[in-house]
Amino acid sequence: MDLWNQLLLGFATAATPINLLWCFVGCAVGTAVGVLPGIGPAVAVAMLLPITTKVDATASMIFFAGIYYGAMYGGSTTSILLNTPGETGSMITAMEGNKMAKSGRAGAALATSAVGSFIAGTIATVLVTMFAPLLADFAVKLGPPEYFMLMVLAFTTVSAVLGRSTLRGMVALFVGLAAGLIGMDQISGQARYTAGVPELLDGIEIVLVAVGLFAVAEALYAVLYEGGPPETQNKLSRVHMSRSDWRRSWPAWLRGTVIGFPFGTIPAGGSEIPTFLSYAAEKKFAKGENLDEFGTRGAIEGVAGPEAANNAAITATLIPLLTLGIPTSNTAAILLGAFQNYGIQPGPQLFTTSADLVWALIASLYIGNVMLLILNLPLVGLWVKLLKIPKPYLYAGILIFATVGVYGMRQSAFDLVLLYAIGLVGVVMRRYDFPTAPVVVGMILGPLAEAQMRNALSMGEGSWLIFVERPMSATLLAVVLAVLLLPRILRRFSASSSSAIAKRRKAT
Amino acid sequence: MIRRGGAPGPQTLIGIGLLAVAAVVIIGAIDFPSSSGYSGVGPNFLPWVVGIALLLCGVLVLWQARTGGYRHMQEPTGADHGYWPGFGWMSAGLLANAALITTIGFILSCSLCFALAVRGLRHADRHGGVAPVRGELAQTMRDLLIGMAIAAPVYWMFTKLLAINLPGLTSTGWI
Repeated sequence: MDLWNQLLLGFATAATPINLLWCFVGCAVGTAVGVLPGIGPAVAVAMLLPITTKVDATASMIFFAGIYYGAMYGGSTTSILLNTPGETGSMITAMEGNKMAKSGRAGAALATSAVGSFIAGTIATVLVTMFAPLLADFAVKLGPPEYFMLMVLAFTTVSAVLGRSTLRGMVALFVGLAAGLIGMDQISGQARYTAGVPELLDGIEIVLVAVGLFAVAEALYAVLYEGGPPETQNKLSRVHMSRSDWRRSWPAWLRGTVIGFPFGTIPAGGSEIPTFLSYAAEKKFAKGENLDEFGTRGAIEGVAGPEAANNAAITATLIPLLTLGIPTSNTAAILLGAFQNYGIQPGPQLFTTSADLVWALIASLYIGNVMLLILNLPLVGLWVKLLKIPKPYLYAGILIFATVGVYGMRQSAFDLVLLYAIGLVGVVMRRYDFPTAPVVVGMILGPLAEAQMRNALSMGEGSWLIFVERPMSATLLAVVLAVLLLPRILRRFSASSSSAIAKRRKAT
Repeated sequence: MIRRGGAPGPQTLIGIGLLAVAAVVIIGAIDFPSSSGYSGVGPNFLPWVVGIALLLCGVLVLWQARTGGYRHMQEPTGADHGYWPGFGWMSAGLLANAALITTIGFILSCSLCFALAVRGLRHADRHGGVAPVRGELAQTMRDLLIGMAIAAPVYWMFTKLLAINLPGLTSTGWI
């Protein structure tokens, strides 16, 4: 079987000592940034992007992917022990996991989240192995109009649907798109917004924006608003699950995987929605005593399900990234940037032109999940020590790594001034509740979307009708409109019906 | 109603800032050629779209700011008011780093940035009611050494192991 052979070849590449080492270091770094509050996988990958100038593509993609899913393992540790989610995807874990830890069951919570992450990650990797090539075969048939519409869909969901305010999401998206405009136009070679500075012809570095918005802004925000006594840490108990813990975790892991995986494949912005859905589902399925534990002593299902959903979703984001070149999360957007640094454009051709890389990457996911299970179960005590780092050292240390990432990329001291300025913008955005993900996605995807749009228009000889004449593209356009309008219509409908009910109540 | 972090003043300023960005984008767009070859639109098309969209966003943000503040705001985490002295220390660290990195090298410059940032963060902590720090200068000297202990291995890892260029005080690649 062809698939099998390719996967075996992938294992052969991924299992060379040097690639195994990169995979291990990636998983370890990922777990560390997952555990540490204030720094996530997106910024960790961004800070390490300079290595793309020296390390070969396969090794660095294995490394970056390790950071990406490793952070999801580490994030749960912080959620359970500190009640501050290390990652947005582990917000739900923080709710039940922290309750469990408070009632002396931290060990069981850590165990179920590590094993659940492993099972969900592995099942999701199997699904990626099976479906990514199929989707790539299908995606080859898509033309520029369809790609453009897919990217518009990604823009819409990341900015308009996920945040609390469509307006602020749109502001962030268009600021990102504006940043993406800087540099040389991909089609005509026209320089735009470069102000005569030659360095700007290549556009603004992703490292600069991502590190500024996520790392420097985080440190500045901490010094400005978050001084104060550190949080109390829950006691770590023996990492062990009883027979009943296993019995209750199994179905939750599987349900979480089923819920999480599809969400990763669509541009719905990461793992917040599926973790929440999984939590709700577990609560619904729970009965009797187990149900009583939800929100009181902490129910193990409420940790197992969302953690599995989280990891399944994260692994699944690789499908749209590798087969369509469309990132559905912050970190995936930066991974796309890493591919671009190598002159590789992820998309359906990737499975033919860079088959070695893709299959080595997929094989490394299997290997990495095993490494992470070991790193996070027997060795969890080691990572917990990271939580003892005093906050001043943690944030100041982040600044050192931010400098490495930004300066290492382009050797320009001026970039460090820009980094500070972008950090200030990030503080304002965080304070006034502007989402940051649309900025990064807009900036990275914007130039690609523009090129697809103009290619599509030249296919249609300048006619915009090309976007509705082709069935696939018209369908996608309808989906975009539905995503934009349906929530509004539903809200209006429910508002008017509830006010009608209120009126009727008043009348009686 | 004035909410935490939602005073209309800064919100208005954000709106004005957006209008300024929109103006820059649009003024730039005027100069770009519209020649499009076979495709209906040229390199000036997206800049116009982005510029006008930003203009609209700016107007809407301003309008929301002036009519009761942003809608559906999530309360920002942390204190009601910023602790500016701490912010000043960290800013000084970051800007000193930018100014000095090419002359005194990565390790020293980053350690300085580290020590200044730690100083700001420590003050911010105390601001929140944690025990005062004794011997400020001695403490900062210690932080400087800790900064070196972090920056030096990072520097060696990047310059020696990965052969990525970072500036040094000497050209030995060790400091």
